[in-house]
Amino acid sequence: MSVKNSAGRRNMTIQKRKTFIVCVLSIAALMALGVRVGYLMIMCSEHYTELAQMLHERERDIKAARGRIIDSTGTVLADNKTVCTISVIHNQIKEPEKVIEALSKELDLTEEYVRKRVEKYSARERIKSNVDKETGDRIRNLDLAGVKVDEDYKRYYPYDELASKVLGFTGADNQGIIGLEVSYEKYLTGKKGQILTLTDARGVELEGMGERRKEPQAGSDLYVSLDINIQKYATQLAKQAYKTKQAAGVSIIVMNVNSGEILAMVDVPEFNLNEPYTFIDEFSAQAAAPSANAQDLLNQMWRNGCINDTYEPGSTFKIITASAGLEEGVVTLEDQFSCSGSILVDDRTIHCHKRGGHGAESFVQATMNSCNPVFITVGLRLGPEKYYKYFTDFGLRQKTGIDLSGEAGTIVHKLENIGNVELATMSFGQSFQITPIRLMTTVAALINGGKMVTPHFGVKAVSEDESVVERFEYPVSEGVVSEETSEKLRYILEQVVENGGGKNGYVEGFRVGGKTATSQTLPRGSGRYIASFLGFAPADEPKVMALAIIDTPQGVYYGGQIAAPVVRQLFENILPYLEEKGYN
Amino acid sequence: MDYVLLAVVLFLAGFGLLMVYSASSYEAGIDFGDSAYYLKRQGFSTVLGFIAMFFVSKINYKVWQRFDVAALLVSVALIFLLLTPLGVTKNGATRWLDLKIGLTLQPAEVAKIGIIIYLASIIQRLEERGKNIIRTPKGVAIIMVPPTIVAGLIYIISDNLSSAIIVMGIAVAMLFVAVPDYKWFVLLGAAAVAGVILVVVIATSGDAEGGTFRMARIRAWLDPEAYSTDRAFQTIQALYAIGSGGIWGKGLGQSMQKRNFLPEAQNDMIFSIICEELGLFGAMTVILLFVVLIWSCMVIANKTSDRFGSLLVVGVMAHYAIQVILNIAVVTNSIPNTGITLPFISYGGSAILFLLSEIGIVLNISKKCK
Repeated sequence: MSVKNSAGRRNMTIQKRKTFIVCVLSIAALMALGVRVGYLMIMCSEHYTELAQMLHERERDIKAARGRIIDSTGTVLADNKTVCTISVIHNQIKEPEKVIEALSKELDLTEEYVRKRVEKYSARERIKSNVDKETGDRIRNLDLAGVKVDEDYKRYYPYDELASKVLGFTGADNQGIIGLEVSYEKYLTGKKGQILTLTDARGVELEGMGERRKEPQAGSDLYVSLDINIQKYATQLAKQAYKTKQAAGVSIIVMNVNSGEILAMVDVPEFNLNEPYTFIDEFSAQAAAPSANAQDLLNQMWRNGCINDTYEPGSTFKIITASAGLEEGVVTLEDQFSCSGSILVDDRTIHCHKRGGHGAESFVQATMNSCNPVFITVGLRLGPEKYYKYFTDFGLRQKTGIDLSGEAGTIVHKLENIGNVELATMSFGQSFQITPIRLMTTVAALINGGKMVTPHFGVKAVSEDESVVERFEYPVSEGVVSEETSEKLRYILEQVVENGGGKNGYVEGFRVGGKTATSQTLPRGSGRYIASFLGFAPADEPKVMALAIIDTPQGVYYGGQIAAPVVRQLFENILPYLEEKGYN
Repeated sequence: MDYVLLAVVLFLAGFGLLMVYSASSYEAGIDFGDSAYYLKRQGFSTVLGFIAMFFVSKINYKVWQRFDVAALLVSVALIFLLLTPLGVTKNGATRWLDLKIGLTLQPAEVAKIGIIIYLASIIQRLEERGKNIIRTPKGVAIIMVPPTIVAGLIYIISDNLSSAIIVMGIAVAMLFVAVPDYKWFVLLGAAAVAGVILVVVIATSGDAEGGTFRMARIRAWLDPEAYSTDRAFQTIQALYAIGSGGIWGKGLGQSMQKRNFLPEAQNDMIFSIICEELGLFGAMTVILLFVVLIWSCMVIANKTSDRFGSLLVVGVMAHYAIQVILNIAVVTNSIPNTGITLPFISYGGSAILFLLSEIGIVLNISKKCK
């Protein structure tokens, strides 16, 4: 063996060992990478899967059903209707001509309109929304590639204009615009769901890869105190008065005196909740005028006069003056007065509505006669500070807190600006303005024994599966007046209906109390009046109260002659009905 | 003949075709209207590769030693041809030669096999001369200068750092095996580690927007989510694919990432699609197959008493090992991103042709083993 060969053989042995080392190092590196792969695929799997899913999925919202609005009889006043949205996905359309033809025919759209959308290169193009379900189903059954029919909810009001200004309506996104739909938005609105579809990086949906759904959560049903029968009847009466008296408007509110629950609230003319943007006849002429501001007119049309507008209550306000006087002890039921037909306050002569005067009369008779000088006298006996204190204590300077938005506040002089003349006019319900609901709420407190309730509609919210029920509670304050004063007041007001100016409010077989009012609107001498009647029953233990206000009636305008009969007819119907229901 | 090696290679090449089809069909359908576009091309190259493998396995490997210098010169010549109008430029890099018969060729792939033949031969010749010339600086220079030049040309002319690294890697592996010493290599290894650390430190300490393109790549490697929309885009998309595979995967053909999220999923990043579709199970199977492949090569190399034959196998083994390790390391973001294909599986005609030819050589050597 040569040296060369032995060295060569030794090197060959080392070479083999080193080859083995290279091999083992390589395999070790591969094993390490195997561990790394395992780490990524087990430990980081969740993280990357989530990120990847976010990247791969395109989401589409599914509208949640809005909670219904249900009255005290269980009648659904606001419901949801299934409608369809038809859209096309450009990339998936296989037979564009067929699609254009079918969609323009089914949806009653022009061919150019549909063609423009079908041929537009976009991820998803909406053709028409609010398509009724039958049409949507028909289109779906045509099975056209690239045409998507998505079901959706639309608010639907089965009774069109019934309680329109109370219920309110919803907008394009199913959100409340006015009325209870706004006040209870939080409860009514549901949680949107989502359809998650897999797409490639270009946003093209992948067929047959399945989709994930996050189910929407329906909103809670709102139960309200409205009673559809009372509401319907009140609406009918209001419409009748509106028509026969050619009035500017007629409002009727029916309220539970002890709880503040409102059974009916009508403010004619009302509008169709299913078409809230269509002008009713009263507004169409104005809306057609070139200078018309459509939104302003719509806001006017939607306005709820019962809570959004103030007026001078007139003689119904004598209830407040009487309460203050009796409570303060400046007058008793038996006090004797004499009415000459006018009274001199400072340097001003204020006339009674009966120019010839009522002559000698007790306080009870003066109320029955609705005698202005007597109430001015009572007001003056109290003096501005006391009168203002009662005005405030009776809640008249505050909003009632009713669960509808846009409640108007009271417009009244500041105490330092109330002289004898202002005080005199305030005593019989003039020179300040309040909302009808404010007047009712205060009178309710005065006759129910001094309990100031919060007028309201909302009773409870019940979730879809009835698992969550929220009963609404409203502030109540006691002791607004003493029980004695309240009792006296009930007596006087029953007398007004039994034997006085409110006798048109009398209902056979029931004890009704009430007060009429005929107030001239500003400016004085315009010949425009507001006639109203506020009645309650039973007179000795009041449960329900109704206020009817006829704005600017033509012809006879006395509250006792035109407004009292409205409440009487209402009571004739609803008092037996409420008794039957065991209503308290 | 080593049938285990043959079986593993057959399986890997077949599996590769399946995965190329799975990874590319969705995009090919959109881009070319033919979901089998890439499959057909790769299928053609693979068939060509198997034919080449078959013939090469019939040729006595000792013949190749006669062409050692020729292999080197051809490799260099082909690289220079890239500068002529025959060079095909894609994505800003000229890496392909147009063969004018509807086919292209990557000179870098030729260079890898060329360098293996050249080095095996020159080392054998140096050992023949004896006197341990291989252990002298002169011997090392004779061995290392040509591959360094070839790697440099590949990097400069075709802007292909990955192939240059692989050529150098093969050369260093063969040198390590051939030279009986350890000391130098340990020192070299230590120096390399220190160098890597230094580069990383420089890359991270510098002003974020400054530095070269490759420095930015290193920063993207360290914090891919911060660069997810630009430099680390591909890496992040690969990680999404790997991570969303889980243990069992989404099933063959079910990858989401191949749907234009991970660009050119059939190329360098195909391993991530394997992970996504076949899960950890599939990924581990692929890694194990490569382990078997490398082990088989080692066994053949060590059973061969002929130094030239043994070194040829070592070169081929080093070639596979470096490429597999670097590819999986890149895909899993274990090292900075550089474009390295996964042998037998990634799409690429020249690569599969020469990888299979190399197997042909190894198979021929395996016949001569005791």
